[in-house]
Amino acid sequence: MIRFEKVTKSYPGTGSPALDQVSVDIEKGEFVFLVGTSGSGKSTALRLVLREARPTTGRVYVAGKEINRLASWKVPRLRRQIGTVFQDFRLLQNKTVSENVAFALQVIGRSRTDIRNLVPETLEMVGLDGKGDRMPDELSGGEQQRVAIARAFVNRPMILIADEPTGNLDPTTSVGIMKLLDRINRTGTTVVMATHDHGIVDQMRKRVVELDHGRVVRDQAQGVYGFQH
Amino acid sequence: MQLRYVFTELGQGLRRNLSMHVAVVLTLFVSLTLVGAGVLLRDQAGLVEEKFGNEFEIAVTLCRDNDRSNPACAAEADQAQIDAIQEVVDASPEVESSRFETKEEGFEKLKKFYDADYLEGPNAAITADDMPQQIWVTLKDPQRYEGIVSSVQGLDGVAAINDQREAAEPMFETINTLRDGSLLVALILVVAALLLVANTIRLAAFARRKEIGIMRLVGASTIYITLPFLLEALVIAAISVVLAGGALAALIQFGIQGRLADSLEFIPWITWSDSVTAAIVVGVTGPLLTLLPTLLLTRKYIKV
Repeated sequence: MIRFEKVTKSYPGTGSPALDQVSVDIEKGEFVFLVGTSGSGKSTALRLVLREARPTTGRVYVAGKEINRLASWKVPRLRRQIGTVFQDFRLLQNKTVSENVAFALQVIGRSRTDIRNLVPETLEMVGLDGKGDRMPDELSGGEQQRVAIARAFVNRPMILIADEPTGNLDPTTSVGIMKLLDRINRTGTTVVMATHDHGIVDQMRKRVVELDHGRVVRDQAQGVYGFQH
Repeated sequence: MQLRYVFTELGQGLRRNLSMHVAVVLTLFVSLTLVGAGVLLRDQAGLVEEKFGNEFEIAVTLCRDNDRSNPACAAEADQAQIDAIQEVVDASPEVESSRFETKEEGFEKLKKFYDADYLEGPNAAITADDMPQQIWVTLKDPQRYEGIVSSVQGLDGVAAINDQREAAEPMFETINTLRDGSLLVALILVVAALLLVANTIRLAAFARRKEIGIMRLVGASTIYITLPFLLEALVIAAISVVLAGGALAALIQFGIQGRLADSLEFIPWITWSDSVTAAIVVGVTGPLLTLLPTLLLTRKYIKV
C-alpha cells in the first residue's frame, strides 16, 4: 500500500538529510507506528506519502502509483484515498461537528444524498452520536479529535495517516482514540501513526518502524517503543 | 460539483474584506473610465481627421462645372488637366503620396457628417454631382508645404488648395494631449489596482488558510479551491466595468451630445455607435486586470 524505496529527502540549506536512504514496505490493512525523537524524520515521511513534498532521490509508491512522478493535477485524487489526522485537530471553529465532517465531502463534490447518509453514520462510528449540532469549542479534546478522525474517515480512505493524534490528550482519552483507530484499521484501512507515546505503542503491540536522524534503525512486527527517546 | 460552498465562500469573502474590495472597485472604476476615455478620444481624433484631414494632408480641390464663384474655373476640370496636376504633385520632393478622390467618394464622406435628409431624395441640398473632385496630398513633413502649394496654385483646373492644417492642428493637439494624459493616469491607476488586487488575495488566502489547508488534505481539486477567489475577482471586475461604462455613457450623453455637439457644430463628435470599441476595451480590460493576478497569486498561495 505504501512503499519507500531508498528515499532520501534533504531540505535546501540544511546539513544532514531529513530522510536518508529509507526503505519501508507497508501492506494493505497494516497498522504501523512510526516512532522516533523530534526531527528524526517522521513528519517528513508522512509529508512524502501525502505528496506535500517530493523525495530528493528514491521512490515513493502509494496505492500502486509512484507518486513523485504523479502530475500535480492528479494529486487531489490521490489525497482522496488518504485520510489525515493531526495533533491539533484542525477543525473549522465556525462550523458545527456535522458541518466539519460534511465539509470534507462537499469540497470533493460528493452528492447531498451521500453526505446525508455518510456523515451521521461516521459520527456514530466514532462515538459522537447526537453531537452533530455542537460547535467544536463545546467539545472536549478527545471529542474534537474524534470529529477530526470522522472527517478523515468519512470518505472511506484506503490509508489513514495520523501525526501524533494523542499528543494533546491525556492517557485515558488517548486510549479511547487508539481503540477508535484500531476499529478503523479492522475495516481494512491501512493506518500509519507517528507518535511519541510509549505507553500506547507498548500496549498495542503493532508493527513499529523507528527513525533516527532520518534512518530506519528498527522495523519490528509487534514491537514496543524501545529504549532510546 | 457542489457549488453551495463556493457561493457561501464568495459571499463571506466579499463581506470579509469589504473595505479592500471597495478600494479595488474604486481604483478599477477610475482607471477603466480613463482607459475608455482614452479610446474615445482616439476615435474622436479619427473622426476629426476624417473630416479635416490630418496634419500631413493638403486637399487640392479641382474645378467644377458652373462654379461661377471661382474666377479660376471656367468648366469642370478635364482629364488632361487632372493628369497635369497629378504630374506636378508627384514630381514634388515634399510629397509622400497622393490619392485622387472622385465626386462619389467625396459625397460618401459628406454623408457621414450630415443628416441623410439633406443629401437624399428629390430635393437634396447637395448631390454627388455638386461635389468637387479632389487630390489629397500627403506631405513628408507637415512644416514644409509652401513648395507644393505654390507649384500647384494657378494650374489650370485647380479651384483651391485646402490647407486646413492650421485649423485642425490645435484641435489634434488638444485631443492627443487629453488622450495621452488619460492613458498615462490610467496606466498609473492600473498598477495601483493590480497591487490592490494582489493584496486582497493575500488577505483572503490568509483568512481562509485553515479551510484551504483542509481542502487540500481531503483532495479538493485546485479549481474548486480557486473558484471562490476567481468569482470574487469577477464580481469586482463586473461592478467596476458597470460603473466605468456608466461614467463613459454619461460623458457621451451629457458632455458630448448634450453640450459640445450643440456648441461646436463644425466638429464631428463621437456618438453612441462610435463608443463600441471603448465599451469592448473596458469590458475586457476590467476582468483581465482582476482575473490574471488572481490566477497567478492563487497558484502561489494555494500550492497543491
